[in-house]
Amino acid sequence: MAYLMLSFLVGMIVGVISVASNPSPYFGALGLVLMAGAGCGCLIGHGGAFLAVVLFLIYLGGMLVVFAYCAALAAEPYPEAWGDVEVFAAALFYFLLVFGGAFWFFGGGYGAGWASVEEVVAFPAIFGDPFDEVINFSVISGDAAGVGMLYSLGGGLLVLSAWVLLLTLFVVLEVTRGLARGALRAV
Amino acid sequence: MTPTNFTIFSAFILSLMGLTFHRTHLLSALLCLEGIMLVLFIGLSLWALQLNASGYSTVPILMLAFSACEASAGLALLVATARTHGSDHLQNLNLLQC
Repeated sequence: MAYLMLSFLVGMIVGVISVASNPSPYFGALGLVLMAGAGCGCLIGHGGAFLAVVLFLIYLGGMLVVFAYCAALAAEPYPEAWGDVEVFAAALFYFLLVFGGAFWFFGGGYGAGWASVEEVVAFPAIFGDPFDEVINFSVISGDAAGVGMLYSLGGGLLVLSAWVLLLTLFVVLEVTRGLARGALRAV
Repeated sequence: MTPTNFTIFSAFILSLMGLTFHRTHLLSALLCLEGIMLVLFIGLSLWALQLNASGYSTVPILMLAFSACEASAGLALLVATARTHGSDHLQNLNLLQC
């Protein structure tokens, strides 16, 4: 189980390297999907299935779909992928940076500097069936209950975030309004 | 440092470096910004999960809402750039260059 968590973390690092090396946005979005998928796996291993579902729905299903549509604005005849030398050089540099850091921190083997997932997180979800979480004798998981608190104790923050989202709608409307108003001058 | 901590920190720094050393497209830089937000979401969620504190689970949800606002503002600017200059190349944004 710890090895599975480690492979999710490595998947996250591979995804972030593939985004940070700045290929053409088509491929960068693919790296972001890999990053989100691996991050969700990491969250599920810690027992937070609701937060993982929210991440998939809102982040991948909402925001990244909009990014994918806007990738049409970055269309070019020969999109640069990770085989092209500039992108590959950046990816190699980031790879060496991360794994150099990993060897620096974890190079001593299972010594004093290493705390595995099972030692840090003494959570029944790691060792067994996630349905064995009988700490609270509750039907819904802890993270779902915590998000539910947003509607009860966090009501003010809920109203605030709804207001901010509405404000963002008007910001987007004014920025993309043409005819010499907003950020567009000519069109 | 635990592997999870190391991953969160290095993913944040890598995304930030990807945003800093941007290349051609504005959309690639926005994707690196989204990567930063994703790493922050994972980090905040793991914080709430590892401390067994359910009440802290609202913070990643709020962060996701605000990151959606930021992404939409960035994409609106991208659309404005593409409509003004014809492409989203960052070298076109040179009005303030001396």
